[in-house]
Amino acid sequence: MSTARILVVDDNPTNLKLASDLLECEGYHILKAVDAEEAQLVIQRTPPDLILMDIALPGMDGLALTSKLKADEKTRHIIIVALTAFAMRGDDAKAHATGCDGYITKPVNTRTLPDEINAMVTRKGNRPRQ
Amino acid sequence: MTTKGPAEVADVNIDVRRAEALLKTGALQSAIFNSVNFSSIATDAKGVIQIFSVGAERMLGYTAAEVMNKITPAHIFDPQEVIARAKALSVELGTAITSGFEALVFKASRGIEDIYELTYIRKDGSRFPAVVSVTALRDAQDAIIGYLLISTDNTARKHAEADKSKLQEDSRMKSEFLASMSHELRTPLNGIIGFAEFLSDGKPGTLNAKQKEYLLNILNSGKYLLQLINDVLDLAKVEAGKMELNPESFSLAPAIEEVCAVATPMAQKKHIQVNVTVVPELGSVTLDQQKFKQVLYNLISNGINFTEDGGGAEIFAAPLDARRFTLSVKDTGIGIKPEDMKRLFREFEQLESGASRRYEGTGLGLALTRKIVELQGGSIGVESKVGQGSTFSVVLPLITKAGKP
Repeated sequence: MSTARILVVDDNPTNLKLASDLLECEGYHILKAVDAEEAQLVIQRTPPDLILMDIALPGMDGLALTSKLKADEKTRHIIIVALTAFAMRGDDAKAHATGCDGYITKPVNTRTLPDEINAMVTRKGNRPRQ
Repeated sequence: MTTKGPAEVADVNIDVRRAEALLKTGALQSAIFNSVNFSSIATDAKGVIQIFSVGAERMLGYTAAEVMNKITPAHIFDPQEVIARAKALSVELGTAITSGFEALVFKASRGIEDIYELTYIRKDGSRFPAVVSVTALRDAQDAIIGYLLISTDNTARKHAEADKSKLQEDSRMKSEFLASMSHELRTPLNGIIGFAEFLSDGKPGTLNAKQKEYLLNILNSGKYLLQLINDVLDLAKVEAGKMELNPESFSLAPAIEEVCAVATPMAQKKHIQVNVTVVPELGSVTLDQQKFKQVLYNLISNGINFTEDGGGAEIFAAPLDARRFTLSVKDTGIGIKPEDMKRLFREFEQLESGASRRYEGTGLGLALTRKIVELQGGSIGVESKVGQGSTFSVVLPLITKAGKP
């Protein structure tokens, strides 16, 4: 069980709830945002260890927000995992090029997502916040 | 070099004499100049029209008397296009070329073969695209004494090109629509499949047996729908020319075994024995491994699907020649009627559709399978007898090229 703090960004409320509840069940502390603007406010107030970032967001999209966060000294360390229904070849490369640390396609596999997230959190050597 | 026999020399001499006869009588020249399908315009060295053929009169609406010794051909082309051509040629050849007749014949005057497309303007002001071929006319001392411009009306070809590009555009838009629709459909499925899986695993709380069963029903229906959407998306990608191949070298036997392992639970449920034979000489191939497996999985799951309980299925792989191998999947299933064979590889055509539809399947599998096989430079065929079973045979190259075909 990890106590790492995870921000889930998704404009679809059902999918936002699914990922959030799933990870909450695993013991993570969950923050939520429905778009890039809200996500930035949350990050300022309570910096997360990892962001599960939907790519197709209204307004500023997930990749643009990722670039912004990775360009900023204060937020560069946050692990960003792209989450998208665009299961097109080349999208994963695009996500990595933008600075995403991981890439997960929708529909999410609820049986493997917690392990994937856990591996990301521990691999980076990020100490979960107490 | 081969030596010509006396008979051949005689033939050549006859040919030369025949050609000379044609030229002497002017028969060739007059035929060319009287052809109504070609416009032939001859000018002097300065470009002033000297000969204006019957075909030119018909195509352009001027009589020969109206143009001869009066204007150059540059006056009957679209002036903007002549200016553009002069500019383009100046850049291409690195020398200043004036707009007007020089732009039409400059290349020909330097001995460069020249065929181009320009728009003619008829006497009545109407326009049509033409293909123009220009040749310099030279005297015995090789000095240029004029030019010959032979033109054909290009309207029909232009229309055909426009029709073709409209068809391509329509097809591209259809594919884009399908791709974006598939994306939209996957978003709510994420919620359906995800929550059903989450709940059925009992993570949020304990379920009774019936609740769990129903949740698994939702989950299976969701996954089936997802498979259908993925197939549509794949088809759309193939149609749009966006499906890419990523060939890698891999051993066939283990790849085939892996696919069988995935299909085994389905076969066991129906007590169907699946036998696999890979001829040992068939070692490694260079193909898109994931797509190879997709093809085999589609064929073997079809075979199992359309075979009654207790039947059998067989996978057989063997070299065909130095460049290709065969992969066949045989079943002892219901078979296919001869009249249905043609519809087999088309989209959304599951045979025996409607109420008599007893077999699960999207009706996309074989269409997609065919497209993926053809994308890799292969072919697919089927042999079948009603009530006895079917054999699907795929021929694939041992090595396929990367990228988009």
